[in-house]
Parts: sequence; C-alpha cells; structure tokens
Amino acid sequence: MASTRGMSPGAALLRTSRMFSLPAAIPSPPGNKFEIGNSRTVTEAYPTHQVITTFDSSRDRGDWGLKRPLPLKSTTGTTYPMVKVKQMDSIEQITDFASGTQHGLTLKKFQALNIPISTPSELNDPSRVLRPAQRSVFEADTDVTAFSPDQKIQEAERRWKFTGPWLAGMTPGEFKEYLTKTVRPKRAEFRKFIQKKLAAQKTEAANRELQEQAALRGDAVAAKQKPFKPESISDEEVTEYLRQLRNDNQVLYDLVGQFLDLAPLKPPQAAEARVQNSLMINLRATDSPYGARGPPITHPSAGISYLRTSAYLDNHPIYGPQKSHPPVEARVLKPRRGGLGNDAKVGVAGFVADGPLGSTHSNLKNATLMEKFDPNIEGGAKIWVNVDKATVDSTGRIQLTVNDAKATDVLIAKELIGEVSEPIFGSAPVRQQQKSFKRIAMTAERLRGRYMDSSSPSAPTMSGSSGYGLDKE
Amino acid sequence: MSSSRQFLSSALRQSRAAGQSTAQFSTSSPAAAIRNIPTTSFQNAPRTNNNNTSSSSSSAGSNQYKSDMFNLLNSGSGSRNNRRGGSDDMEGGGQRSGSGSVGQSQKVQELLQSEVTANNYLRQMKRRWTNGDVYAPRDLGAYEMKGKPAGAMAQMPKVDVVDELGFSPLDNYRNFSLISDYITPFGRIRHSKETGLRPVNQRKIAKMVRRAIGMGIHPSVHKHPEILKASAGRHLLPLVVPKGQAAAANKTKNFDGEDEH
Repeated sequence: MASTRGMSPGAALLRTSRMFSLPAAIPSPPGNKFEIGNSRTVTEAYPTHQVITTFDSSRDRGDWGLKRPLPLKSTTGTTYPMVKVKQMDSIEQITDFASGTQHGLTLKKFQALNIPISTPSELNDPSRVLRPAQRSVFEADTDVTAFSPDQKIQEAERRWKFTGPWLAGMTPGEFKEYLTKTVRPKRAEFRKFIQKKLAAQKTEAANRELQEQAALRGDAVAAKQKPFKPESISDEEVTEYLRQLRNDNQVLYDLVGQFLDLAPLKPPQAAEARVQNSLMINLRATDSPYGARGPPITHPSAGISYLRTSAYLDNHPIYGPQKSHPPVEARVLKPRRGGLGNDAKVGVAGFVADGPLGSTHSNLKNATLMEKFDPNIEGGAKIWVNVDKATVDSTGRIQLTVNDAKATDVLIAKELIGEVSEPIFGSAPVRQQQKSFKRIAMTAERLRGRYMDSSSPSAPTMSGSSGYGLDKE
Repeated sequence: MSSSRQFLSSALRQSRAAGQSTAQFSTSSPAAAIRNIPTTSFQNAPRTNNNNTSSSSSSAGSNQYKSDMFNLLNSGSGSRNNRRGGSDDMEGGGQRSGSGSVGQSQKVQELLQSEVTANNYLRQMKRRWTNGDVYAPRDLGAYEMKGKPAGAMAQMPKVDVVDELGFSPLDNYRNFSLISDYITPFGRIRHSKETGLRPVNQRKIAKMVRRAIGMGIHPSVHKHPEILKASAGRHLLPLVVPKGQAAAANKTKNFDGEDEH
C-alpha cells in the first residue's frame, strides 16, 4: 500500500478501498505442525488471495485491470477467467499471478449443492436427541460478537468468538508459553477480579438477609443494603477465598475461564478422569457446540454459503415435488481397506469427505467401487451421493457428511441429464382392467331411441350438451 | 494383505494340482510389477542354498515359489492380451474347461491378478487425503499424486519439536524410543538439518543421547533392539539361539510351513 503522505484524504480512501486495491493475503491454513514434507504446490484448504475476474473481451487483450497486461497463453484457456495476484509488481518487474480456478470453481460447485452451513455436533452426544439435527450458524442468538463484559459471561455457551485460546488445542509448549507470557502478568488483575466478585457476593448475601428479616417482621418491602465496594474487600479475604477455591474445581475453572475469556472445554470422560483425579468427574458438561473440537478461526460459516436451511422442496418438471434433494456424483478418491485409518474417501464438489458410513449399499461386501481400485473405469470410480450436512471446523476446513443416494433419485437425476437409455416417464406398466366391457357401436337408431324415451330423467334434450357424451361422470 | 497370502498358497496348490504349464514372462503384464516385491518377505528363515531339482511336493525355496506365482498369473494367457484392450479384469482369459476345479482356479487367478494390479496402482498414489482438503483436477495429476521426493528439505520439521512439546530432553534420557529417534541407523546423532531443532535444543538432545550411550543403557552403533524387533526390517534380524537348541534352530521352514530339510 502506498504511503498516504502527500495525498489528499479522499485519494487515500480510494487507494485503500476494494475498488482500487486488492486485500492483503491472509496467513495460510493451519495444518499439522509436526508434519514432515513440503507440499507448496498442493491446493490449500481455503483461498488466501483474492480471486479476480474480467470480461471476456478484456481477457482476450490481457487486460485484467492490473498494472500490466497478463500473458494470453496462460490466461485465455479456461472457461471461467479467474486469476490470483500474488504480487502486483515484483522485484523482477513482473506481475506474479497464478490461476484462481482451483478455489473459484470449488466455490461455484459448493454453492450448486445448495446446502446450508450448520453448527458442528458430536455423533455420540447424548443431548443430541433433544437438539435439532441441523442448526444454522446464522441464528440470531448465536451469531453475535458484540457483548458487554457481563453478557460475555452469560453467553459463553453460545458464543463462537473468544479472545482467549482453547486450552485443549494447545500443545504443551504453547501452553507453557501462554502461562508465562500472558497469564502470569495478570495476577494482580485477577485479584481485583476476585475482589469484585466477592463484593457482589457480599451484597447479594446482605440483601437476602434483609429480605428474610423483613419477611419475618411482616414488612412488604425490605431496606436495600447499599452495594459493597470492591476496595472494601481486604487482601486476606481474597487469599482465603482463593484457598477455598482450590477444593472447588468447578467454580475455580469458571472464574478463570471468565477472566481469561477462554473457549469452553468439554470435561474429560468419566473413565479418563477416574484414573487421574477424582475431582474431575464432577465437572459440568458444556452446552457449547465448540467444546469438543474448539471454536472456529473464522466466522462459523467461513463465508462460503449464506443459506440458512435446506428445508425446501425441489420441483421436478415431470414428477413434481421430490422428497429429497437431487443427488450429486462424488469421486472415489481412495478405496476402503480394512483397519484403522483406512476408510474410503470421496470427493464432493472439490472437498474431500469420508465415504458414506454405516450399512448403506456402497458399504456392502459386493460393492467393488469403494472396496477396490479398478483401473478400467473411464474417468475414475464415481458414486451418487447426497450431502446431508456441512460444517466448518476449528481449522477453517469444510467438513461434509455424505450419504448414499437412493436408486430412484439417481435414476431421475440421470434422466434429467439424458444418461438413461430408456425414458422413465411414461414407462410404468399399465394396470390391466379387471372387467372389459364389450363395446357396442353407437348407431343412429340407438341415438334416436335415447331421445324418444324422454320420460327418464337422464334422457338428453336436443339442445342440451348432455347428449353429446362430453361430460364423463 | 495377510489374508491374500493364505490365499496365495491355496491358489498355488490348486494350480500345481491342475498341472498348469509354464508361460513366458511378459514385461508389460501386471505380473512384471511384482518382481519388485522382495521374496524374503515370504520367508521366515535365513536363505538356504536350494536346489531347483527338489521335488515339487516339497516345494523348496524362494525361486520355486516365485516361478510358481508367475505361472499362476500368466497361465491365463488370454488375459494378458485382453489387458491392452482394456476389457474387464473379471472376465479373464476365457479358458473355460469342463472341470469345476479348473474353473474355480481360473476365477481365483483373475481375482488374484486384479488384486495385484489394484495394489500396485494404489501404491503409486501417495497423496494422503484428509477430510476438508480441497482438490482441483491438478491435484489428481501425475505431479501431485506421485509424491514429492524425500530430500533433506522435505524431512526437516517446520517447528522445533522440543519447544512445542515442552519437555526437557535431559530428564528423558531413559526414553529409548526418543534416543533411537535422534540417531541414524548407524548410531550417529542426527544433524539439526534433520531434527529441525534450534541450537540450544539440539545441544540438549545430543547430551541426552551421549548420556544414555555413556551409561551403557543404549547401544552406540544401532538403535535399541526392542525398537529394531518392532521395526519393518525385523525379518532380517539375525537369529540368535541359546547353545543347546542349535539343532532345532537350523530347521528352517518355507512359506507353506513345510520343513525344508
């Protein structure tokens, strides 16, 4: 960004606006720190540079609105013009750019799935039966970041953004560094925090006592004790309270979490806790969906989809409203092999996900597509799936839950794109009539006879439309 | 893979019983790929000097086994030609003879062949897919899928492991897997280019290794034997037996579990 010295304020504003500048690159996605291996050319889990596009006519001239035209050979081959600019003007006096289709088209493909982003939930969470299966990340009570300090504490179970870290996701070295660099300097502040808490507790206790006394005396309204000041709490009282807290883990953890604004943590399982420390068993479970895996590093939707629900019906032009959304083809990236870590992986809309789990038809023994690699399949093995759920995890990656599509849905989807050999519509077998009436040909005499016999109520009149056989009742 | 090993031996017996003729080796068939499989993985004894003239019933040695396996795969001669046309593996050579056992062994051969092909292709696809990864057509191409060369640059970790894990190396001098991790297979302490540690931690780790070796609780020229026993090369370890049982130890067994002598 050019320095704003010698520039008018308006010019400075325009220079830094989206219209005239590209935003700075964000840090690359956090991966496994301990992983060995350089993979600098592999597609990243989310884009770190802005993807730009241009008109077709401009693209043919190399004009992308940048400092210099881009070479035509590498930019005019694709259907969709997409480019990422790494450096507008490098030391070698070129514009360092790369193709942006890997992320741009992934976004298009994902949005074509029409699925909303949901808050994550554990598979074996016992409270899941009470909560709905899919909860949008844009719900008004959870999609808030502006809180007053008191609200912050109240809403800890529902927030997604925290200033403090998620302790379970820190490595031991990181944790030690956090303690020495961030936590230790805050000891005096913590004592003041405790003073405030104690003052509030004292006031509350005093008020309650006055109310009880008033109730005993029979007064309607009790005198209100004026609130205690935090400064009135002495150091010894604070120290004594801290000593008491050592025996009450739940309250201690709550206070520390509030003070440091830590993300909620799922307490250890009863089995693990019994081994280490019996006091751990009595910790309260957290309601927050981020307790198990950590809060997200982006907005819970990661900005990839703004849909709130998938509760809509797809209308087929011939077959009418469909019960389930149309299936999509998924590529089998890795077949299933027995053992740990050998689940089948499929790729849907450019994202890698676990193959359909459970007892679905692609997990049966005779289903060879997911079981074994077959080099003879043209274009690679593909299966038809429905994407049920999409969530954003604590590393910014999109996690999809994928299920096998029903055979009828697959057939209908194939018919719509013309991949079935015989049309399905109109091919249902006609039910045989049980009684076949012998057809008597209408003769002039019979017709006349109907008009002659005018006494019966159903006899047609000459001028009425009833005699023409138009109304079949 | 262990299930397919048992599979192999029964298939071998069947083919021998059915009297399959030998066939010429082809360089383009999938069988050619399996020549790279070390035959010692099918042995559980040190190599003995075998005569190929020994009777087939006693099935001696690795060479006989290897040739039998090639015979098994190549005896469906039609399948070799079909491979180029890209027809379905499962249909196979079409040598339909009347007897049920030959038909069965045909199917077994085809299954085996396709299994070997599939495994060979999978071994070449080195990309590890994690949930949430994004892939474009480029990531399925040859350059990305074949895996990057394992050079020194690739092996260096991005973070200082001792700092991240927050442990004191010198307090862990009794941790044999830790010591063995930081020495080469010949017992030399690894350079910081390989360990990725900053100088302070590199010195601490080196001191830890020197302490364990100096105390005599860890070998100085190779990794700890318990770790070697669990490693991938355990079948190559020398067989050391107590004095009285030398005769029993010399009785080697071949792949089928039959005694060789």
